[in-house]
This record gives sequence, C-alpha cells and structure tokens, in this order.
Amino acid sequence: MVNGQGKNTIIRMFNVSKRYGKMEALSNLSLEVRKNEFIFVTGPSGAGKSTMIKLLYMGETASSGSILVDGMNLARISRKQIPMLRRKFGVVFQDFKLISTKTVFQNVALVLEVAGLKPKEIYPLVMDVLECVGIEDRSEEFPPVLSGGEKQRVAIARAMVGTPKIVLADEPTGSLDPDSAAQIFQLLRSVHERGATVIIATHDQQMINNHDGRVVRLVKGRMDCEN
Amino acid sequence: MLMLDAKRVLTDIVNNKFLHMVSVVTIALSVFIVSSFSLFFNNATDFLDAWRKGVRVITYMSDNVTEPQRTELMETIRNLGGVAGIEFISKDDAYNDLKEKIGQQSSLLDGLDKNPLPDSFEITLADSYRRLEDIEKLSQNIGGLPHVEDVEYAQKWLYRFNGVYNLFKVTGLVLVSIFFIATLLIIANTIRLIMYTRREEIEIIRIIGADEKFIKYPLFFEAVVHGFLGGVAGILMLYLAFILTVPNFAPATVFSLFEIRFISVKFSLTIVLCSMMIGWVGCFFSIRKFLKI
Repeated sequence: MVNGQGKNTIIRMFNVSKRYGKMEALSNLSLEVRKNEFIFVTGPSGAGKSTMIKLLYMGETASSGSILVDGMNLARISRKQIPMLRRKFGVVFQDFKLISTKTVFQNVALVLEVAGLKPKEIYPLVMDVLECVGIEDRSEEFPPVLSGGEKQRVAIARAMVGTPKIVLADEPTGSLDPDSAAQIFQLLRSVHERGATVIIATHDQQMINNHDGRVVRLVKGRMDCEN
Repeated sequence: MLMLDAKRVLTDIVNNKFLHMVSVVTIALSVFIVSSFSLFFNNATDFLDAWRKGVRVITYMSDNVTEPQRTELMETIRNLGGVAGIEFISKDDAYNDLKEKIGQQSSLLDGLDKNPLPDSFEITLADSYRRLEDIEKLSQNIGGLPHVEDVEYAQKWLYRFNGVYNLFKVTGLVLVSIFFIATLLIIANTIRLIMYTRREEIEIIRIIGADEKFIKYPLFFEAVVHGFLGGVAGILMLYLAFILTVPNFAPATVFSLFEIRFISVKFSLTIVLCSMMIGWVGCFFSIRKFLKI
C-alpha cells in the first residue's frame, strides 16, 4: 500500500463530494481505478462526469472526501506540486482546447517544453506521436484550419506525447461525426494498449456498447451502477 | 532555458503580432510624450541660461569722481565675490556709442549743451554667480559704495526669466511624474489585456502541467521586450519629429542665442532603460492580480 492505495490501484476516490454553492455536483463518490484499466464514465448531462474528471487533475478541488492519484493525496499537495500531478495526466476535451496561435507541432511540443526537454529531444518525439495519430503532414498548420476530427487527433497526440500514466478524455467524440468518432476511439484504445490507464467520460451509449471496458454510471452526482 | 524562453517569446510575438504591436505602440507614444517634454525642458533651460549669461551689472558713477577715486572704486568692485570682469566706460565713450547706435537720429543729440551720460563700469558675472538672489546681493553691495550713483542689471527681465524658469522646473517635474504613472498604468493594463485575451491559452498550459515560472517568465520577458521596442521607437519618433521641425525654427532670432540640441545619448538610453523597467513593473502588477501569485 502507498498512501492507502493498493499496488495495482492508480486512482482512489473515497466519499468525494463537490458542491458549487448549494448545488451538489458530486455526492459521496467512491471509486478505485487499477493501472492500465479502460473505464467509461457515463450518465446524462449534469450527472457529474466532467466534474469528476476535473477533480482528478485538480482543475477543481473536492469539497470533501479524499482522492489519491499514483501515490499523491490531492488534499495534501501544495500548489507547487500541482504541475507535477498534472504531468501524470494527458487530458482530451470535447472542445479540443488547442492554442489557436500555435501550430499543430507547437501545440503538441508544449507538453514536452513544460517538462523541460530540449528542442532536439522534442522534435522526434512529437513527429512520432503525430505520425501515430495520422496527422504528421499537417504539423505546420494552425488549429483553425483543421477539421473537428483532425483537431481531436492533435489533442490526443498532445495527451500521448508525454507518455502519461493516465489519459482522461471528457466527451472526446461529442462534437464529431460518427466516422471521426470511431477513429478517435480507436486512437484512445491504442493509447491504452501502450500501457496508459484511460478514463473516458461520455454519454455515447452506442460507443460504450460496442467496446469492452468497465462502465461507471453516474446520475445526479451519485454512483448509479458499476459493471 | 533562457534561450528556450527567448525562442518562446519570439514565437509568441510573431504569432500574436497585433496584440504585441498595440502594446509596443502604446509604450512608444508614452515615451514620445515624456521625452518630447524632456527635450523641450532641456532646451528651455539652455535658452534661459544663455539669456542669463548676457546679463551685465552697470554701475553709474556720480559726477566729479577723480581718477584715483575711480581706480580705487574699480579695485573694490573687482574684489567683490562673483565679479568676473569689470570695464570702465567713460561718459564720452558712452556718448559716442549711443550716437552710433541711434544712427540717423544722432542729430537729436546735437541740441544738448553737454554730455548728460555718466561714467560707468560694466561688470560681467562669474558663471556660478548668475542666480537672481546673487545678482541682487552684488548690486546692493555695489550700491552702498562711495561715488556710486545707481546700479542697473535688467531686474524686470531677470525676475520674469526666473519665474518662467521655476515654472518650467515645477511643471516639468509634475508632468514627467504624471506621464510616468500614466505610462505605468497603460503598460500594466495593456499586459493585463494581453493576459486576458490569452487566459484560455494560460489555462491550457496549466492543465498540461506548466508551473508558475513557465507561465510567468515569458510574460516578464515579453513586457521587457515591449518596453525596449517601445522605448527605442518612441525615441526614434522624437528624433524624426526633431529633424523635421527644428530647421524651421533655426532662422528665428530668439534661437540664435543658443543651439537647439536633441536629448543626449545617455538620456536616451536612460529613457529606454526606464521603459524596460516600467514594462517589468507593469507586468509584475498585472501578473500578481491575474495569476494570484
């Protein structure tokens, strides 16, 4: 056990609640995620899926309860340690969150710059990952000229490039057509096959039904069922 | 690390040309205003100094002063503090000088029975003795000496010049201070605006694991680069305005007293340095509020 986590457990949430004023977005949520697990977090809009994802990378802080991520107790880490925690994650958003004034290459390379790598180390790693998501030929383009599917590929490349232990995807196919969505899903599968723990928040029931993986269902901020 | 930061800043400047241009132009205009006031102030000071240098204290003697008395008086005045030189002008020399100056109207003097002008001394002042109070004190001392009838030193003009000079000095300091604060606020707000338009980018950088230094350093670097570019551009704008307008002033009589000069290289460098410093301070305050350091 490391800080209350089992050897194979990478994330542990215990009685976690998150309140915004009087509104309770998450209520007493407890969840354990093993290393290299592939998990769908599903539920209707407003169920608390995005809130749960944000709590994990400390985009928000929990109102109560405890969260342990790869040995770090999020309630006890200092502000200076937050960047170190975030480097454990690769995060993919529905709205891509790409920097529109940076090229595809620069957007992906930023993760490695943040981690302190030198430019000559960064270049091959970024090109490798762009090739992996099939967008190496557009490395010098700016995000506004890319299609939704291409933007999400860049976002996945950015999430992969630092070889994080955990990849979080918040409605990654939410704004894509079915073909692009299927391709993005396959990419997330390949990230998982490379050894990362993948947590996907989605309400796309068809996608969940078509693929293997643990499903955690949230309703009104509470765990409804797990299978 | 520094090279990487510099590269990031340059890439960022290229990618956000318009935003950075707004900041640099704002700083350039502020520097232009402050330094043009300094240019005006420096030259106005030179002008007043040049005018003061022309001031002479004229001592008129009473009639019937013998030569030994005159020589003694001359020596006494020469030994007073602040006197750089003394020249005796006899009543005849003064008469001839006057006659020459009034030219064609000199026939008016022909009707006089005798020369009404007195013997006098023309006293030039030491450089360190040109303040109005010093001249007043010297005049009083000379006025109290025997055989001295009257002392003149263009009191009215000197009082006016002194007033104008002091006004320049006070308004100069007040205006430079106001512009300094205004520039600081403008820069702080421009940087805050830049950060506001880039809040999403900063948020993304944070999510991917950037620490405060990674976010802050390039912003400080950018602010200092803005300060440098704005400072240099402001000085160049002033120089351009200077070489375009000064030749139009040159023939005017008043400007023949002294040479209009541009601000010194040292002062220009100081302005650029101050501009960079203001960029840094402006950034410091903006970041403090924005990133809640």
